[in-house]
Amino acid sequence: MSGAATRPIGREPAIRVRGLVHVFPEGTRALDGVDLDIATGEAVAIVGQNGSGKSTLVRHLNGLLRPTEGTVEVLGEPADRLRVAALAARVGLVFQDPDRQIFARRVRPEVAFGPSNLGIRGKDLDAAVDEALAAVGLSDQAGANPYDLGYSRRKLLSIASVLAMRTPIVVLDEPTTGQDLRGIARVQAIVASLAADGRTVIAISHDMRFVAETFGRVVVMRAGRVVLEGTPAAAFGEPAWPVLTSTYLEPPLAARAGARLGLGATPTESAFVEALAAGRS
Amino acid sequence: MGPLAIIAIVLACAAVAGVAGRLVKVSALFTLPIAISVVLVSVFTRAGTTVLFTIGPFDATLEGVEFAAQTVVRLFAISTAISLFGMTTDPRAFVLDLERRGLSPRFAFVAAATVEAVPAMAARAATIAAAQRSRGLDTEGSVLARARGFLPLIVPVVLSSLTEVEERSLALEVRAFGRPGRRHLLWAPGDRSWERILRWGLAVVLALLVVARVAGIVPGTA
Repeated sequence: MSGAATRPIGREPAIRVRGLVHVFPEGTRALDGVDLDIATGEAVAIVGQNGSGKSTLVRHLNGLLRPTEGTVEVLGEPADRLRVAALAARVGLVFQDPDRQIFARRVRPEVAFGPSNLGIRGKDLDAAVDEALAAVGLSDQAGANPYDLGYSRRKLLSIASVLAMRTPIVVLDEPTTGQDLRGIARVQAIVASLAADGRTVIAISHDMRFVAETFGRVVVMRAGRVVLEGTPAAAFGEPAWPVLTSTYLEPPLAARAGARLGLGATPTESAFVEALAAGRS
Repeated sequence: MGPLAIIAIVLACAAVAGVAGRLVKVSALFTLPIAISVVLVSVFTRAGTTVLFTIGPFDATLEGVEFAAQTVVRLFAISTAISLFGMTTDPRAFVLDLERRGLSPRFAFVAAATVEAVPAMAARAATIAAAQRSRGLDTEGSVLARARGFLPLIVPVVLSSLTEVEERSLALEVRAFGRPGRRHLLWAPGDRSWERILRWGLAVVLALLVVARVAGIVPGTA
């Protein structure tokens, strides 16, 4: 579970990272030998304290950063052979702050920007935009000025603008920041829908409840390394707590309550309720 | 000789500060664009008696070359002096010191915020460029492709900067920034006696040079 790269059985790897090291020009060693495989159609959450290397890692997936050492393969091809504009057709990356990307005066052209850059035109473009707006619940806001929307809706707009690109891999950086429960549920539904379509979803998050409830695998990073990975049950189970504590992370409440009640691994609320019900019967 | 002497003094100071190499590079970059136009205009359009060579209807004169050389040296001298100040002076310390000497806190804040905003805006612009490139914006391709990317890059930079300015001003006001009266500075840069002597000495030298120049004792050429 710890350290070694996971090799999902029976599925083609969408992402293959080997010995990835990244040293920034000022000397910060942000990644220190990361090995990671992510299979096609997997939904993976990357967690860790600030500065653990999560964002640096995902920026290698679409070529925004190039490895100091090691390799990154995206859909079987080395990422360093492709320009960012070319990798954008494979990996859609939603940045944390929507205000760092919104520029159009209306929601619709903002969403259309990415797919049109990829060469999608005409009816295909309209369909991609409509589909993405529907996925985030902004269909009725297509003509609105993005800056008239609240922060949580601008955040959903930034997700839609990447969903419309229909990339096989979608990376979400802190998708639940600034979202209320409804917005979080919306993001959960988006992740589930993407995974159901066979698209690979990778998310960075500090929201452990969201991570446990939404993703099939959790990758824990500390000081530029993967220190733990596994299912939510394994990553948030009591044996893993010392590692989580060392990264200043706390398991979700359901996992902690389940452990205190001796119910075993209960990373999600439904798992907790089921374990509690089984214990009573 | 004046500009050359200034360059020599500035470079010597830069060497002591350990920034000589960077100073030359930065100053050259600042000077180059203006220097190119100065050389082109002066060499080919300045009237003179000694023609060095001719290109079409334009005569390159020795007088033009001399004038261009003088001007470029002056520009480089100005550039090195300003760049050395920028490289060796902490803007925050500079503005705080001005405030200690009676500058309005509001003006001091505006000055400090302006100077500090440059690296912050550069970092924000880098993040915005990364976000747009992730959406397929081609910033590595042809000139036309790059031109298409101007609006998606500049609009978020401007809008997020305006938002930040508003948030910052509100954050300042809620912490009583607008309250009238004297301020007590928590920290002020040191001012040692030799620094005061040097500063006043330079002021006196400057005054003497101005007087000498006006009186015609010092010629106004390089």
